[in-house]
Parts: sequence; C-alpha cells; structure tokens
Amino acid sequence: MKFGERLRSRFWRMRVDDEVDAELEFHVEMRARELVAAGVDRDEAHRIAVRRFGNIGRVNATCRAIGKQREKDMRRTEYLSELRQDLTFACRQLLHNPGFSAVAVLTLALGIGGTTAIFSAVRSVVLRPLPFSNPERIVLVFEQLGGNRSSVSAGNFVDGVEPVTAFSAVTAIQYSSFNLAGAGDTERIIGARVAAGFFGVFDLPAERGRVFTKDEDQPGRDQVVVLSHRLWTRRFGSDPAIVGRQLTLNGRTHDVIGVMPARFDYTADGEELWVPIAFTPERRATHDEHYLTVFGRLRPEASVAMAVDEMQNHALRLRQAFPREDGDLSFSTIGALENLVGPVGRRLYTLLGAVGFVLLIACGNVANLLLARGAARGPELAIRAALGAGRGRIARQMLTESLVLACLGAIVGLALAAWGVRALIAAAPPGVPRLEQTRLDLVVLAFTLTLAFASAMLFGLAPARRAARADLIAVVKDGGRGAVGGLRDRLRTSLIVAELAVALLLLAGAGLLIRSSLAMQQVDPGFEPSGVFSARFSLPSTAYSNREIVVQTLDRLAGAAAAIPGATAAAVSTQVPMAGGGNGNGLLPDGKPFDRRNLIQSRLRMVTPGYFETMRIPIVRGRPLNETDRRGAQKTMVISEALARAAFPDQDPIGKRIACCETAPDGKTPDFKVVVGVARDVRSRGLGEAPSPEFYLPIDQVPPEGWEWVQRTAYLVVRTAQDPMAMANPLRAAVREITPEVPLFQLRTMEQRLRDSTATARFNTLLLSLLGVVGLVLSCIGIYGVIAYFVSRRTQEIGVRMALGASRRDVIGLVVRQAARPVGIGIGLGLIMSTFTLRVLSTQLYEVTAYDPITLIAVILTLTVAAAIASLIPAGRAAAVDPTQALRAR
Amino acid sequence: MTHKSDTGMLHGTLDALILKTLSHGPRHGYGVAAWIEDTTDRAVVVEEGSLYPALYRMERRGLIEAEWGTSELGRKAKFYSLTARGRRQLADDTAQWTRFSTAVSKILLPA
Repeated sequence: MKFGERLRSRFWRMRVDDEVDAELEFHVEMRARELVAAGVDRDEAHRIAVRRFGNIGRVNATCRAIGKQREKDMRRTEYLSELRQDLTFACRQLLHNPGFSAVAVLTLALGIGGTTAIFSAVRSVVLRPLPFSNPERIVLVFEQLGGNRSSVSAGNFVDGVEPVTAFSAVTAIQYSSFNLAGAGDTERIIGARVAAGFFGVFDLPAERGRVFTKDEDQPGRDQVVVLSHRLWTRRFGSDPAIVGRQLTLNGRTHDVIGVMPARFDYTADGEELWVPIAFTPERRATHDEHYLTVFGRLRPEASVAMAVDEMQNHALRLRQAFPREDGDLSFSTIGALENLVGPVGRRLYTLLGAVGFVLLIACGNVANLLLARGAARGPELAIRAALGAGRGRIARQMLTESLVLACLGAIVGLALAAWGVRALIAAAPPGVPRLEQTRLDLVVLAFTLTLAFASAMLFGLAPARRAARADLIAVVKDGGRGAVGGLRDRLRTSLIVAELAVALLLLAGAGLLIRSSLAMQQVDPGFEPSGVFSARFSLPSTAYSNREIVVQTLDRLAGAAAAIPGATAAAVSTQVPMAGGGNGNGLLPDGKPFDRRNLIQSRLRMVTPGYFETMRIPIVRGRPLNETDRRGAQKTMVISEALARAAFPDQDPIGKRIACCETAPDGKTPDFKVVVGVARDVRSRGLGEAPSPEFYLPIDQVPPEGWEWVQRTAYLVVRTAQDPMAMANPLRAAVREITPEVPLFQLRTMEQRLRDSTATARFNTLLLSLLGVVGLVLSCIGIYGVIAYFVSRRTQEIGVRMALGASRRDVIGLVVRQAARPVGIGIGLGLIMSTFTLRVLSTQLYEVTAYDPITLIAVILTLTVAAAIASLIPAGRAAAVDPTQALRAR
Repeated sequence: MTHKSDTGMLHGTLDALILKTLSHGPRHGYGVAAWIEDTTDRAVVVEEGSLYPALYRMERRGLIEAEWGTSELGRKAKFYSLTARGRRQLADDTAQWTRFSTAVSKILLPA
C-alpha cells in the first residue's frame, strides 16, 4: 500500500469506527434507560443491557467491516462518475477545436504508429524465442584458429564436440543445394546434410513419418530424406502418402521418411530438406577443411561454461595430435538466437531508438499545443475553480483530455503501423530473418497502449499541473490575456530546446549514413560490373563423376556462353564477387617453414581462362591464366594484390612459389604452384569491406576432390555490350543444350549483385533519413507554434512599439530573437548528446567517423535555416500588425 | 431474561421487517428494534447481533441511508431512513411474503 492510500484508509477507518462505537453505545444506553424507567437500579440496568446485547465486540467488528466496504464502494462510484464526466467533457472540448485535435492526434499517430511498427518488427525478429523447446539451451559452436572464427572440420567435430558430456545432443550441418528431379521440372533446392543428432538438438518430432536415426547416418545407408513442411506443401501438394515415396536428389534416389512440422520453417529462406551427412571414415579423420555448422543442446543441468571447458580440453589434445591442422585450435559458442539475429538486431534497436525520438518530438509538440490552449482556456478554468473544482480535479480533467488525445493517436497510429509494417516487409533488404512474420498481435497492442499512456503523461502532465496551479485571480483580472505562463515562458521554450536537440540527433544520424553511402559509391569494386550477366549451376556427382568429364563440361559451357550472339566474353568461376559464401585456404609462401602461423588465409576461385577478361579484373603484373595452364603443365596461380603484399612484401611475386590446397603427389611435401600474375584487388565481400587476399587457380589443374570443395557448384559469367539481362534466355538455352538436366539458378546481372550487397545500408539510410525529415518538420512546427503564440500574445505591445516608431525590421528582429535563444541552446544540447549516442551507428559507417564535422555542420545549418523560416512566418505577421487596430483590440 | 425467538427468523425476513419499520419514518437502530418488539407484543425479539450488521449491510446496498441527528432524549444518534430503492425492495418483499404465507397456509390450514 502506498503512503497516501494508507493515510486515507486510516482517515476513513477513524470515521467508520467512531460511528459504530457511538451507535452501539447509544443502543446500550437506550436499553439501560428503558430498564431504569422500569425500576431497575442504574448500574444493574447497564449490566443487563450489555449482557442482552451479546458479543458486542463481534457485532462491532462486523459493522466496521461492512461500513468500510461501503466507503470503498462509494469512493469507486464517485471516481467512475467523475471519470465519465471528465471523458464527456474531454470529448466535447476536442470536438470544439477540431483543428487543434486533428493536429495533435495526427502528430501523435505519426510518433506512436512509427514506434509501434518498428517495435513489432523488433519483436518478430529479435524478441521472439526460436520455436523449439528450451531454445536458450541451443548453442552454435565454432572454431577459433589463427585468430579467425571459422566453421568446424569433420575431424574436430568428431573428436572435439561429439564427446562433450555437457551436451545432450550435437549435430554438424553442411548447407547445400540439391537438384530435385521427378514430379515436374528439375528444381534447385537449398537443403542440409546433417548428422543424426540434428533432430535431438532442435528437439522437434516429425509431423509425418519419422526422422532418421544414427544407423542411417552412415555411408551406403544414407539414401533417406526428411522434407520441410514448406517443401511438402509447395512441391508435393501436401500429398498424404508422401512418406515411402522416392525422390531423386542430385541424381540419387532417396526414400522420403518424414515431414517436419510447419513451425520448423521459422525463417523464409531456411533449408527445405534434410539428408544424413554420413561421414566416411576418411572424412571423420580430416581435421582440415572447416565447412561444418555445429550446434549443441546443453543438458538441463549443464552450463555453457561447462561445455566450453570440455571442448577446450579436447582442443588441447587435438593441438598435439594434429599440430599442422589444429595448431592453436580452441572452441567458442554463441546462442542460436543471437547467431540468427546477429547485427540485424542492433540495427533494429537503432531504428527503434530513432523512431522513439520522433515520438518524443511529437509529445513535445502536443505539450506545447496543450499549454497554448491551457492559456487560452484560463478564464474557463478560473470559473470552474470558482464553482468549486479543486486543483486536483482540474489537473485530472486536463490529464483525461491528454489520455483521450493519446488514445485517438494510438488508434490512428495502429492503422499507420499496420500499413508501415507491410511497407517495411516489402522494402526491407533480404536476409532479415523472421521479418516477414511481423504481426500486430496482442503484445504489440499492449505495447502501443503503454506507449499511448506514457505519451499522455509526458505531454499532459506539465500542462495539467500548470492549469491547476494557475493564479486564477490574475487570470480573471487579465481577461484571459495570457497571464498563465507569462511572456517569457520557460516551459515552452525548454520544450523547443529538447525537440531541437533530438531533431539534431536524428538528422546527424541520417547525415552520417548518407555520407557513408556516398563514400561507398565512390569505391572501385576492382572489376567492371556493368554488362556482366551471371548464373549459378551445379553438376551432380552421378552423371559428372570424374574430373575429365567435369572440366570438359565446364569448358564447353564457357564456350557455348561466349558464342551467344552479343556476348563478348564468358567464363566459369567457382565464386563471383558479392555472391557471399566461398572457400578459403591457408597458403604457404615458398621458403617459410610449414607452420600454422605462416599460413595466409586466402579466398579461392577456380576459373576457366576467360574469367579476368569477362569480369575486367586488371592484371597489374605478369599474365592472366590462359589456355596453356592445363593439367600436366606447370601448376600456376594468379594472386590478388593483397595476397602479394602479405606473401612477398617488397618483392616481385612473379615466378615465386606458393603451396596450397593439397599435398604433392609424393603425399608428404606441400604442393607448390608458380605465381604467374597479380590481379587487382576485388572487394568481393561488399563495397564497405576491405579486400581480402584471394587467389585464382586454373580449373583444369585442381585435384579431383577440388570440385567437391565447392560442392560441385559454380557460376557462369557472360559479358555483353548490350543489356546483360537479355543474356538470360540465350544462356539458359545454351546450357540446356549441353547439360539438359542441370537447372540454372540465381540469374542476376553483376550490377544487381552489387546493388543487393548494399541493400541493407541503403535501406537503413532511407529509413533514418525519413525519420530525420519527420523530426525536422515536427520540431519546426513546434517552433512555429511557440513563436506564433508569442506574437499573438504580444500583438498589443507590438502595436505600441510600432506606434512609438519601431520599424518592421525592429519588430521582425524582436520576434526572431525570441526564437534564436532556444534554437541555439537546442543545437548545443543536441551536439553534446550526439557525442554519446551516434556511436551506436559506428558499425554502419564507412570512411566517416561518428563525429564527422562536415555532417554536423550541414545538420546545424539545416536546422538553423528551418528554424529561421519557422519563426519568420509569424514574425512577418507581427510586422504587418496595424498599430491602431492592435491598440484598440482590448 | 428475554427469551430468544427460537422459531428462527426466516432468511431475509429481518430485512423486510426493518424496511417496513422505516417506511413509517426515520428511526435509529434501537428505535427499529423497539418498534418491532412493541408492534409484535414481543413475539419477535430482534437480536442486536443481527440487527446492526443487517442495518450496515442494507446501507451498503443502498436500501436505507443514515444520518446523524438528535434523539428524543437530546443525544446524538444515527437515524436510518428508507431510500427509493429500499421502498421498492419493501414492496417486493411484501409481495413475496404474501405469496409464501398463502402457500404455506394452504397446507397448514386446509379449508
């Protein structure tokens, strides 16, 4: 119980208790008097009366309890009836001033709606748990090697993660694409090869059929597949007899043994089928080749620290046993949800903060509107007070009006949010998990209501307190000429200060992102994206089982693509820039001892000879790969500038040797290749990322298993002088001619890939700019409102000044000066705040610091000009005052 | 020694008696008890232990309202009077009692 309540209850109890005591005492006394009148002795009469009453204590207590209940009922009834009065009155007031109400409601709707929309996205993407039992117990395990975080090798999974007792289940996943044949066109499907523990980690039973067992996770017995609900409905029309049917995946038949439930498809772009990973004994012994995504489920009594400790022990053992592969191996973990959401969560919270700022500005504006109206309503409030309304009562009345405004704002805001969520989903960059599942559900509704209530308190409390405290006599004397608040209105100008400070933050944030985007547009990607079309394909192991057939087919595909009318060059590469994924290898420059620390992690591209010409990647030294770099000839490679700097600092790399990727035919010494050329650095991972070391191998010289490293998947690239998109159909036709059963997928121009790679940055920039503009406009409306109010209150004074000889310019100066102070202070305050808050953007910035002076100066200028315009409009009106009119006005 | 009415007051009957008593005008608690006892020639004796909780309960339900006034002997006393709602309740109770007693009479006093 709060102190106030306790006080009041004490107060009430005194009354009820006294009443009961007095009443019962009176009864006893009356009874005694009756007896005395009948001749009984006075003392005896009293005794008899008391005895006759029975248990007077209990009766007293019962009556007190009922009496107190009654008081409580009455207070509630009174409160409800006052609330009804206040509500009716508030609605009448709002209808009386439709202009004011519309502006206030719309301003609030903008703030509340925006905040609701972003919050619902945050909830869907970040806050919702994963749809598994105890999802917080699922952790992602990765390796830490040579200071880099990497995926896990099969050997390290088997020796380092599987034996961990703190996990109740572990699994290794290799995401992979499959050519699915039968029942319609051959289709490219993202699936996963998983170790049998997979279904134990995620702990979800199959919806139909069963999941596979450890026995089936063995080579030779692994031709089973579990389908996702989405694939089952999409491709097989929810066929109830699916379990037991056979599918052809990459040319091999698989028995369908189960279908997972719909809630297992918790992301829109998740994998659609699962097959056993079925490690061969050789694979289980391979500690190199880090390509597995590993998850573990903690036992109920185990902690993450326990699991990490155990893995650390295994890692130490592995370091000794495999010094070459696992030199400084350690394991670490992150939560499954955190892994899924990652940096997207931080970006969304930044947006939520920004849109919250807009709501704050909106509240500031509405508070200012209410203050202005409170002043205008001075006489009315004075009369109400004179008629007996207490200060608390008047404050409550004003707050009720604020609440009604906020609720209307919330209703319109929800409509805005519903639209906003749809727009957000449509416009968002790809790769935001679970965004498409954003709904305005009950939790979001509760959030909106809380927001509305908090806003009402924020913008309503100060005006309500001021109305209740007003010097009513002064108001009445002054005839309502704005005695409330006086001329130098601290409260109102400090609202302007706060609004401007927040607007500055928003604009500065938007400005920094815009500067980053501009800087990124200036970046040279290292190749010429315009005019290049690209598509992906993969050759199944059944029909393309040996190396000769694969290389022959790739050559024929590149040749056929180059022969398309309009095409000027074409090539096959296992990796193209901006496409994500890809393989890395540790490279050892000749002359350095074979030690993990001397390896340079570099990204591999296996290419046909025309690749550099097609992509127009300049060769800065030496020669590109060409037709002479064939099997049997000297093994060659082209390296990127970054790799050249790392491997041979201050030396000419041409003719130097680098070991990589395989052991020499003797099985012991590393296999060296000769560097024949140095290619310009390519920003393969995005324009904002520094180029990493890369190397190119002629596809005909890679070992037979090299094709497996890239999961038998590669890109065809074609350059044309015409519209590159026009290459799509001829390319499909050409490929169908050579490999009829192989579908092309991810058909995109390189310019599209480049645009996709900056989609997230562009989206954030757009959204924050939008919020910045809304914040700017709202705070300018606020300035305009305060200055216009100032002018209207001082019309008479201005008239006097003009009558005494003040010029128009003097009057305008007077008004603008009134605005200059809060604008100046607001900008200063915003600058101070920006040093604390803009840091959150630093991961999204490119070649700009969070304290970029150019951005800040531009923002200050924008704000100053906008504020000047907002105050010049009412100033101009003030200067147009006719002195005689103004003086007569009273 | 006053004898207690062990015929037992039928549930709700005390409320009806109080309402009826107050229909003649405001009375304090003692006055209500005295009036009922006098009118029934002490056939019905109202116990204080039932009377006051009943009065408080009825006040809470809005059937009667109370006001402090001066008693006939010049002392401060709490006077109860009937509200409009109490008056309606009395009418209902009376009608119900009539129906009930007619029914019971048909059994106990066959014509």
